[in-house]
Amino acid sequence: MSALSGSDGRPIIAARQLTKSFETGRRGRRQLVEAVRQISFEVSPAERIAYIGPNGAGKSTSIKMLTGILHPSAGAATVMGMVPWRQRRELTRRIGTLFGQRSQLWFELTPRETFRMLGAIYGLERSDLRSRVGQLGDLLEAEDLFDQPVRSLSLGQRMRCELAACLLHQPAVMFLDEPTIGLDLLAKQRFRELLVRLNQEQGTTIFLTSHDVADIEHVAQRAIVINHGVVIYDDDVSAMRRSLLATKLVELTLAGPTDFAGMAGVAVAEHTATTLRLVVDTAVRPVREVLDALLLDLDVTDVTVTDPPLEEVIAEIYARPRT
Amino acid sequence: MTRRWLPVAVASAARRMSRDRAALTVAFGFYAVVATVISTLWRTAANAHGGSIGGYSGAQLTWYLYFSEAAVTALNPRQIELTGDDIASGAVAVDLLRPASVLGVRVATELGRSLPRLAGCTAIGVALAVLTGGPVPAAAGLLLALPSLVLAVACNLVAQHAFAGAAFWIRDARSTWFLYQKLVFLLGAMLLPLQLLPGWLHTLAAWLPFVAMAYAPARLASGHVEAQLLALQGFWFLVLVTAAVAVFSAGERRLQVVGG
Repeated sequence: MSALSGSDGRPIIAARQLTKSFETGRRGRRQLVEAVRQISFEVSPAERIAYIGPNGAGKSTSIKMLTGILHPSAGAATVMGMVPWRQRRELTRRIGTLFGQRSQLWFELTPRETFRMLGAIYGLERSDLRSRVGQLGDLLEAEDLFDQPVRSLSLGQRMRCELAACLLHQPAVMFLDEPTIGLDLLAKQRFRELLVRLNQEQGTTIFLTSHDVADIEHVAQRAIVINHGVVIYDDDVSAMRRSLLATKLVELTLAGPTDFAGMAGVAVAEHTATTLRLVVDTAVRPVREVLDALLLDLDVTDVTVTDPPLEEVIAEIYARPRT
Repeated sequence: MTRRWLPVAVASAARRMSRDRAALTVAFGFYAVVATVISTLWRTAANAHGGSIGGYSGAQLTWYLYFSEAAVTALNPRQIELTGDDIASGAVAVDLLRPASVLGVRVATELGRSLPRLAGCTAIGVALAVLTGGPVPAAAGLLLALPSLVLAVACNLVAQHAFAGAAFWIRDARSTWFLYQKLVFLLGAMLLPLQLLPGWLHTLAAWLPFVAMAYAPARLASGHVEAQLLALQGFWFLVLVTAAVAVFSAGERRLQVVGG
């Protein structure tokens, strides 16, 4: 089954000069703060978009406008041909939303009871609802969680049930606001895989906000970077990986003091008796090759490989020459 | 538009609440103790006052207080605060992402949660009233009191949402909610029948919606077969629903403009 819309080539999401200002401060000293400034982009059906930026960049404000729960101060937007803030009720029947920091499940109910209620809200027939819950249980490997009270689920388990809840009515577009926040590494990885599978098997458009660089690499085909309310980067993740995500941070815990002679494409960030922190330029030398060499030469007790923080990626975007 | 979710919301919440034995046990225990203490005080006062006060005998006061307490204890005592906090924190915005009335879903769910508590409190109340006050003063009054209790809870819930809606405009509206609860206790005649209030306060209270939230079912259960009380509750329910819908519509519009 396909959840595609706009198969006529039109974008499924379009934002043009979208702007949102908020008034802050007390009466007489009111200030206008622009949370989102004239952002424009288009999303094609079945695309996987990472909409990323640091805290306070304007991600959530953008997603609230695109889902219709916030009116813009200026500009225009359409989602599946509808103006979100004017046709919110109609739009909510065709989109799914998941807010990492705000649960949509009823805490006293089991997920299955919540699904029954959501099924009634979305006007699903009882038999359709039953088969849909079964499908989602298989897809999300969560069937065994559906009969436990929500309050007894771990965060990772709850997020899988949250995802099932917002997929119940087969939305064509999924808006996910920081869905991996607070999840441990394994749960994050599993959640990312589920999103990709959902997109590939059902053609659901994924619009994901995050400030976690790994979400971009593992989920998205395209990244839109927003900072201070302005879109500062919009390109394929493969291009981004080549130009901006080429570095990996490698931290080694050493058994004792040791010398490190250095190698091409690897810069030393910190070297103490027990710690060696390196910045690896994967465009010069793959991280695996670096690790192989290090494990062969040094007495290593622990290794962690991480992505650079988003702030560094954004600094890199600003540092690049404008075209 | 279909409202098929309404009974499902009520039933799901009721089913879940009825399985929460710990919460129900605490609520029932609290109700039994408080209602018994207050009704005993009033029965003693009536006996010391020649057998009746304000036209109520000791037995009638006993039935009155078990029912007025049941109508109020059926609701989560922190409900108004929880609803208000959801609005003040902007969490209510998530509710806007469902194709159903935010107010409707919330009230229906809370009504469902209240029903098992109401049923339990009523059953315990009837048993204790018979035990301490004697037989039911009028069977017809008791029969009318049962739907009246449900209407009382519904009126109270809708009014609480209307009051909690102040949080759409005021960041900290806790004082308003505190005042609301006290108004239900006093002007809703939960602690003492309306007829025992001073003349001017009695007149004022009779014109306010709080009477629909405790006084009406208690008056019926105390042997006053006054079917017009159900009509009065129906009237106030419609007024309160209109007010709550107006508050939430305006509040949601504000939320969409200024954010949460």
